[in-house]
Amino acid sequence: MTFTLSEVLILLVPSVAVVLLITALVFAGSARHSKRYRPGRPFEFRPVWFLAAPERLAGKVGAAALPDRPGQRELPAGHAGEPVEGPLLAALTEGPQEVGGASDRW
Amino acid sequence: MTVGELPEGGLTGRPDVLDGPFTTRQLLRLDEALRMADTSTGLTFSVYVGELDEPVREDAERLHAKLPDPPRSVLLAVSPNQRVLEIVTGAAARKRLSDRDCKLAALSMTAAFSGGDLAGGIVAGLAQLAEHAGKAPQV
Repeated sequence: MTFTLSEVLILLVPSVAVVLLITALVFAGSARHSKRYRPGRPFEFRPVWFLAAPERLAGKVGAAALPDRPGQRELPAGHAGEPVEGPLLAALTEGPQEVGGASDRW
Repeated sequence: MTVGELPEGGLTGRPDVLDGPFTTRQLLRLDEALRMADTSTGLTFSVYVGELDEPVREDAERLHAKLPDPPRSVLLAVSPNQRVLEIVTGAAARKRLSDRDCKLAALSMTAAFSGGDLAGGIVAGLAQLAEHAGKAPQV
């Protein structure tokens, strides 16, 4: 039993095309979900700090921490930010600041 | 967008939270959870996701102290790479959220984190903390 070249191509080309298509879909899918966190694996991302309503707080004591800059309402705090200073914060931090909470690891 | 963002080199012109650990859908869920927690309790909830310096507890407390109203604020600090969660409550918030309540919320959060669900764990933790804190006192 012998196959002609055209018969081989007819059988081989669609098979290879299907394999390549599935491979491409798998890699595309993994690239799209690369942001997924997997415990124990390195997870690269920019640190973020969320606050529900910085605009509501900006009118209160938060004015010191949320400077009114055009197009910028995020909270300027964290490792890279300068500590908030001034009379408003001094008034808040007078006396011992008792904090509570909990710690956990996974 | 009511989301704060902390770039490495200081502040930039616009929050680029899409470089953070969450997708747009997750950001919306977090935003909604934070709003619900704030409005129902009258406390100020805040979520930090990023590296914490050692000792992590002290670093989380330093971050909490930078919030606009620390005594009435609750900070959830999550470090996925260090696999550490810190919940910090201010003096006034602690009267409504005991350390035991925080520990219970932390347990459910870390259960979700260990399954790889950062956003789900934070949303669940916020809901649980808000439930424990109860309604905002009427003035």
